[in-house]
Amino acid sequence: MKYLKKPSWHINEKEITPKELFDKRRSFIKLGAASVIASSSIVELLAKEQLPIKNLSFIKDKNLNNLELNSYEQITSYNNFYEFTTSKERVKDMAHTLDTTGWKISIDGLIEKEFEIDFDDLIKKFTLHERIYRFRCVEGWSMVVPWIGIKLSDFIKYAKPNSKAKYIRFETLLDDDIFPDQANMLFPAIDYPYVEGLRLDEAMNELSILAVGLYGSKIPKQNGAPIRLVIPWKYGFKSIKSISKISFVEKEPLNTWQKSNPKEYGFYANVNPNVDHPRWSQKKERVLGKFFKQNTLMYNGYEKEVSYLYKGMDLKKYF
Amino acid sequence: MKRSLLFLLLLIPFLFALFELFILENVKDPIKYIYTISGISSTVILFFTILISLIKKHFNILKYRRMIGLYGFFYALIHFLNFTVLDAELNIDFIFKETLDKPFIYLGMGAFLILIFMAITSTNRLFKIYQPYHKLIYLSLILITIHFIMAQKSLTIMQLFYIAIIILIGYLKLLQQIIRKNRVH
Repeated sequence: MKYLKKPSWHINEKEITPKELFDKRRSFIKLGAASVIASSSIVELLAKEQLPIKNLSFIKDKNLNNLELNSYEQITSYNNFYEFTTSKERVKDMAHTLDTTGWKISIDGLIEKEFEIDFDDLIKKFTLHERIYRFRCVEGWSMVVPWIGIKLSDFIKYAKPNSKAKYIRFETLLDDDIFPDQANMLFPAIDYPYVEGLRLDEAMNELSILAVGLYGSKIPKQNGAPIRLVIPWKYGFKSIKSISKISFVEKEPLNTWQKSNPKEYGFYANVNPNVDHPRWSQKKERVLGKFFKQNTLMYNGYEKEVSYLYKGMDLKKYF
Repeated sequence: MKRSLLFLLLLIPFLFALFELFILENVKDPIKYIYTISGISSTVILFFTILISLIKKHFNILKYRRMIGLYGFFYALIHFLNFTVLDAELNIDFIFKETLDKPFIYLGMGAFLILIFMAITSTNRLFKIYQPYHKLIYLSLILITIHFIMAQKSLTIMQLFYIAIIILIGYLKLLQQIIRKNRVH
């Protein structure tokens, strides 16, 4: 038995790249790069257009439904934000007044102990998840957004509501230095502060999130910075922006749009192609950037995940 | 010269819309955009047509009134085609159901039917016969106004301002009618 001492430059046979592979190295690298791009629509978009620098860490969404994302530009330049203006195109240019430094959220009502939390502390406390969701506006347009957020159920467990709490109520910040239409004493577009609500079991659903980002970075001002609700199976107006107060309550909260026009906007506002808005049909929707319409899906395509919440309810009555 | 200038002036909203839609391509929701621009253009132009007789002492463009009115019809036609072709994708069954079902839509359709009638009977020969019926423009404008108010999600100061202008025009026209009647007696 002979023991051969290997010289220092010796390389094991296994570690040597076969010659034919070495000759193909360039196409191999290209293939590798291509496969990365093909598997991630975000990378493709990064290459094509300017996206903000990623500044959040989160658990990625595998996009199992293969939804086709709307561009960052589309998502951030067509916004309903009445606190600024009723024009969806102008919000982007006006939103710079929304100063989110030192943003605090107060949590009160039927919970173990009322408290106030700093937004920066809040996002350190919870796991962030990317959620690629369809977003359907009651006006008949829609988009697909890669949100990043905290599971609302995680937040509710943290707040510890007591057994009396049946509903959760949200409020947008009231500050007329930030929101020009709130300073409008004579003819504000709607009642301020904007109020929305959910039944507690809806809020606990796996799909409900408090969004703090989109496309990998913090949420832009016009999309409801620093924190907003996203309930993908309901019309967009339920997904309240720039939240400053969350309350746990016993009775169904009266939400802003229901208050403003109860014939047209209800508390539930579930996306439903079979229940028309009094002025227009909800059977179809226009995806931003597309000329032709597509069919609107029951519960915006999340029937499997949420239909149990509305078993036996008359959806025409509870619209 | 005056006629061609006016013709081009009235074409501006149409050209502007084409420019935004197909050259700049910056419109996020084209169907909504076409509704808005054609609706506003048609409303403003049609209200202007009833002002022409009011201002004729200072500024006489009575002989262009038909052309201006037809432009109002042209924008209303775009508005109507946007609903039927692009929005409803020519689903005739759906269009009829919506029209009969939703006040918002049948008011608009009613106004548009009046405009069709007026456009057809605006030729020299037919106008001689049907001129009295062209008073229907007032009914059409009332329907348009209600349709416009219904189209808003909430009435902002700007929209209230437009409604105030419409009320003022209505008042002036009423005054004009009363003065005219008294002159006859």
